This record gives sequence, C-alpha cells and structure tokens, in this order.
Amino acid sequence: MTGQSQTGAPDGAATPESTRKTGSGSPVSLPHRHLLGIEGLSPIDIMALIDRGDMFADLIQSDTAPPPPFSETLRGRTIINLFFENSTRTRVSFELAAKHLGGSVLNINVAGSSVKKGETLLDTATTLNAMHPHILVVRHNCSGAAKLLSQHVDAAVINAGDGRHEHPTQALLDALTIKRRVGRIQGLKIAICGDIANSRVARSNIHLLATLGAEIRLVCPTTLLPAAIDMMGVEVFTDLEDGIRGADIVMMLRLQTERMEGTETPSQREYFNLFGLDRTKLMRAAPNALIMHPGPMNRGVEIDSATADDVEKSLIRTQVEIGVAARMACLEALASANGDRT
Amino acid sequence: MTRTLFTNARLLDPAQALDAAGYLLAEDGLITAAGAGNADADHRKGAEIVDCKGACLAPGLVDMRVQSADPGAEHLEDLHTLLHAAASGGISTIVALPNAKPVIDDASMIDSLSLRATRIGGARLRLYGAATRKLRGKAMAELGLMAEAGAVGFSNGTRCIMDSLVMRRLLAYTAMLDRPFIQHCEDHNLTAAGEMNEGEISTRLGLIGAPAEAEAIIIDRDLHLIRMTGARYHAAHISTHAAIESIRRAKAEGLPVTADTAPPYFMLNEMAVSTYDTAFKLSPPLRSEDDRQAVIAALADGTIDAIASDHVPVDGDAKAQPFGPSQPGASGVDTLLALTLSLVHQGHLDLLRAIELLSLAPSTILDLGGGALIPGTAADLVMFDADSSHIIRGGTFASSSRITPFEGMPVQGRVLATYVAGAPVFRA
Repeated sequence: MTGQSQTGAPDGAATPESTRKTGSGSPVSLPHRHLLGIEGLSPIDIMALIDRGDMFADLIQSDTAPPPPFSETLRGRTIINLFFENSTRTRVSFELAAKHLGGSVLNINVAGSSVKKGETLLDTATTLNAMHPHILVVRHNCSGAAKLLSQHVDAAVINAGDGRHEHPTQALLDALTIKRRVGRIQGLKIAICGDIANSRVARSNIHLLATLGAEIRLVCPTTLLPAAIDMMGVEVFTDLEDGIRGADIVMMLRLQTERMEGTETPSQREYFNLFGLDRTKLMRAAPNALIMHPGPMNRGVEIDSATADDVEKSLIRTQVEIGVAARMACLEALASANGDRT
Repeated sequence: MTRTLFTNARLLDPAQALDAAGYLLAEDGLITAAGAGNADADHRKGAEIVDCKGACLAPGLVDMRVQSADPGAEHLEDLHTLLHAAASGGISTIVALPNAKPVIDDASMIDSLSLRATRIGGARLRLYGAATRKLRGKAMAELGLMAEAGAVGFSNGTRCIMDSLVMRRLLAYTAMLDRPFIQHCEDHNLTAAGEMNEGEISTRLGLIGAPAEAEAIIIDRDLHLIRMTGARYHAAHISTHAAIESIRRAKAEGLPVTADTAPPYFMLNEMAVSTYDTAFKLSPPLRSEDDRQAVIAALADGTIDAIASDHVPVDGDAKAQPFGPSQPGASGVDTLLALTLSLVHQGHLDLLRAIELLSLAPSTILDLGGGALIPGTAADLVMFDADSSHIIRGGTFASSSRITPFEGMPVQGRVLATYVAGAPVFRA
C-alpha cells in the first residue's frame, strides 16, 4: 500500500460569500449513510443530488464567483480516496470535489499490489478505520466491495466503482451533464452502447435514467450481453444503427483491451466495424443527438476521433468537468447525513 | 455381551415402511430385534433400558458428501471434531471426499485414515478414493487397490472430469470394480469465471454468472458413457431443474444412475446472494426458485435419492472477502437433520421418506449395508425429537466450521442421541 497525503484548503481560508448565492437549495439530505449505488435511491434523492450538482456546476463555471473552496462543508473532515484499481479521472475528480468543499484529502492507491485483493480490502479497512476518516471513496475490481467495506468502517462510504456492479457518481454526473445541455431527462431516447456485461457505468445509468423516465436502449454484441438484462426495463439491440435510430443521447462504453481478441469479440477491427461509432452511423440518431463516454476512450475501437472530438455533438469533455460538481453534491450530502463525528 | 433395549420409541424404518410405536434391542453392536408394541421380558433380561419417551428412533444418518479438512488443514477442523460434530447431528456414518491435502489417492491413506477414525470414536468414517491422481483429471489413481482398502466409491472431489476419454475409462474401470462413481457435475469451461448462478440477479449484482446448463451438460454427456460402460453413476449435489430432468429420463430408461442434493438447494435460492453475503457462496451456486422447486419435487418423487450435508470447512478469512473471490462452501453436519425435516413440516415429504433420503438411500448407493432397523444390521441409530424448535446459530455448532447460510433460520428437529454399533456417541 502506498499513501500520499495532500491537504485541502489552507487553514483560515475565507468562507466565500457566494456559497449559497448562485444556486438554490441546501445540502441534499440522503436517507442512507453511504452512497453504494443508484439502485435503491428514490427519484427525489436523485433529483436533489442532480439539482445540487447543477448549482455547484454554475459555481465552478462562474467567472465572478471567488476562487475555491466554495464552501466549508467538509472543513476539518478527512476524505480518503481508496483506489484498488487504477484511475486518474475519477480519483482527481473526487479530490477536487472534496477540496472545493474545504475537505482534507488523502489518496491511497492499492492498485497493482500483489496481495490478494480481498484480504487487502478488509485489512485496509481496519487500518483506515483506526484513523477516523469521515468519508471513504472506494474503487475496487470486485462487485460488492464497497458494500463490504461499508460494513467494516465507521466512515461514510462512496462507491467509486465496484467491479461490474455500480458506479453511482458516474451516472449522476452523466444525468447532470444531460440535464444541463438538454434541460430534461424524462422522455429522452438514450442508447447505451458497448460492453454492457462488464460495465458498472451501464448498470448505474440504467437504474438512474430509467428512474427519471428516459427510454433506454442497449446496443452490444450478444457475447457481451448479460443474462436477463431486459428485466431491467431496457430494449436490446445488436445492430448499432438500429439501436441508435432516433436517439437523443448516444452513450458509448469502453471495451477493455483484453477482451478485443478472444471469444467475446474477434478483433478491434471487427468491433469498430460493427459497434464503433462514427459520423456515418451517427446519422441514424436524432439530428441533435449528443455523444457521451465515461472515459477513458479507446479511439478507433468504440468511437472514432472525429466523432469523439466533435465540439457540437460530443459531451465527453463536459462530462469530466461536470463530474466534479456532481461529486461535490454527493460528498456534501454524506457529510450532512453523518453529522459531526468525534 | 452388551444389551441395550430402546423402549417407547417411534420406530422409523424406511426399509420396512415401518412408522410405529415400538422397541428395539441391540446386542453386541447389532440390531437383534425391533418391532411395534412393547418389548417382552426376554428382551429386557440383562439389558440396559433406554426409555425414548416417544421420541423418534431411526437408522443413523449416512452423510454421503463431507469434506474433511484433516489431513492438510486441521486448524480448520480436525477429524476428531468432525466425527463428533457429525455424531451430534445424528449422523452415524460420514463419507469423506478425497480432496484433502494430500489427496486421498492411495490405498495406504485409506488405511491410515480409517484406522485413525476408529480410535477417535464419534461417527464412522468411510472414504471415497480419488478417481485421478492428485485429482488432476488425467491419470487414473489406483482404484483397485483403494477399493480393496475399503474405498466405498470414487470421486474427483469438487473437480468434474472434463476429459471425455478419461471419463469413459474411469466408468469402465469402476464398473469392473462394481463401485459407484461420484461426479461433481459442472462444465468448468463454462463456469470458470462464474461467481453465482447466471440470471437476473447476477446481472443486477454485477457478478459473473455460471449458467445452470453447466450441470446438465455433464450429466447428459455422462449418460452416454454410462450406456457404453454400464457403470454405477452418482450425480452429487444436484441443483438444477435441467439436470433433474436428465436424471429422471435416465432412471426411466433403467440406467444405474442415482443422485443426491444438499439442504441449500431445497431451502434457498439465488435471491439470498443479493446482499453479497459470502455465507451464500456455495458450489454449485444457489439457483433460481424454479430450480429449488424442481429439487423439492425430485426429492418427493424419487428422482433424487439422497440428501447429503455437503459439509465444507471454510476458513473465516476466505469468506471475509468480496463475493467473487471468496471461497465457496459452508458447514453442514450440524444442520442436516433439522433442515431436511423442514421438508416434512412443510408437507413436501413424509417422515419415512425423509429418513430414507438421509440413511437408507445413501447406504444402499454405497453398499454400506446400513440404513435399516432389520435384525442383523449394525445398531447405528439416531434418536430425535422431530418437532422441537430452535434457531440455527453457527456459533453453537459442534463443528469448528461455523459458517452457515442458514444463520438465524428457525427450524424444527433436535437430535437427542446417536448410537454407533449400539454404543452412544452423542447424547444431548
């Protein structure tokens, strides 16, 4: 285990007056102590987090707001980013979100450790618990790992991705990105395309977008289609052009390199040919269709560069920016839910 | 000469379809008389009288699928603890799988373990020999020598024989030895990455699914090989509707096929995994509700012949992990009787059928010569109260393996005493 300590806001940083000025509302109050998944959250909880994130996004993008931190909500609180899988964007996003709220952040990167992952998880949990962090942000390659961790620590746990299960903050930031651009989610036709079987992003987005009334289509090769997925209220396509026909949002998923030449897909070339998004295929979608991707992208595999970098249609960079705001709403909600700890 | 007379018993003997108030006389380890009504003066002469006070008295349970951590991982559960825990669960004979460390693939190991067990007391220990050396599924182990040393059948533990040629030869050879082959029916190619039963639940939980078809695929292949070889074949811990249908057809065809299941597969379904609780990580995995109902129906109609505990001593650390990498298995000898009696209390089976599944059937499948209350049979007995209720708590198990998927479940049925060769090996 390697640790790297970084402090958040310097002591004595001024409380910005603007904390409540631009946005409406107050910290979201969640009925749960942890944020382990979208499944089980009510539409009201989800909307509250999105609205709060919307306010934070305004703040981040404002030219007139004072520099961060934007709030003192996490002042004196320790947020530990505990990542058992490599990640740059999610970890940095959480770190920035915590610092924008005045929190102290500690990054622990356990990825690549030769120690058996599961043992490391609970051993690490016990060790970290003794240091009394307030919020643990955890990513792990096993489904259910965040829940397991939450049962062994006193801190609030945010699931930053557990195996193939859920990645709730990604779904929240995706929804917030859509809402800020389109204005609504209800009634939108949203196609989620790619490696559904191995995607926690797909599962969280299915739960969230369906809860908010979107029409969800999945597009993927039959070898990457999980069993009984239609029970989750989605329509399944194996032809990309059919699946995105008339879609308002086309969300592409990353295909892991190790799956490209095996029994799931025969080659990168064939995958791009059948399931990769390019300008021609995109013409089947609605005229104003927008493109999303949770990153990191495999250019030329699931999406070509011209499409990914299309400033008119691609929301991919916006997703990264909005991610910080969405995670601020989540961190703030859990800090509020758990009150002051000694 | 030792004489023990059991009086005021509710005698349960599936071999004679006997369910009646009666008595049983055991002399020098054998049953010498048993019947309805009262014992006469001759029976009483010089006998130690055990008043059963109306409790059930049945052939001791024969648990035909138990994993022993001894030899190899005695810290989890040594043979002494296992045999006494089994006795406290009403089990008079356990049959242990060969997947110990080292693997039981040699006649001398059958000898030495059997000898150790006789010194320990508690339940009797019988052993399966490993079908292949080191359980690798390739070279045949010395089945003939192990049979002479007392192996009751041959098994490859929790590893299915995937190579069809190896399987064909094993069946041909075990047919020659007239010993049953015990198969763990799982197409490992199909389930290698599997973490739970494949279906909606696995999709929702993001766990990799192991399809139910993996069980029937092996059985269907093996049925062809059984027709070629005439071998006695036993499908262990059957858990799926499809496999049951295959076995049902095989039996109708007259093939020498038998099967067992274990309590998790008639008491629980895959929904239990929803909290990622690793106590529910089992092999085979918990299946769908349709599968569970099929298992119950198969127990009632005879398609499944026997119930075994599928006892697996698992290290707590191996369970204190995320669901995927956690080790499958759970303790079973403490709860075998009460969980099986649940099927009686729920109206799926009558009491005699339940006892048949637990004693006569496994004893017959493995030629153990027990499982009956007929004079001349070993006086291996269980005395139990079929109605007394309690809540299952792993912490109270006699087994040192205390991980159970039934934690907190209310059940009825309490073992009062267990006898091996007429001598008590457990008394509540």
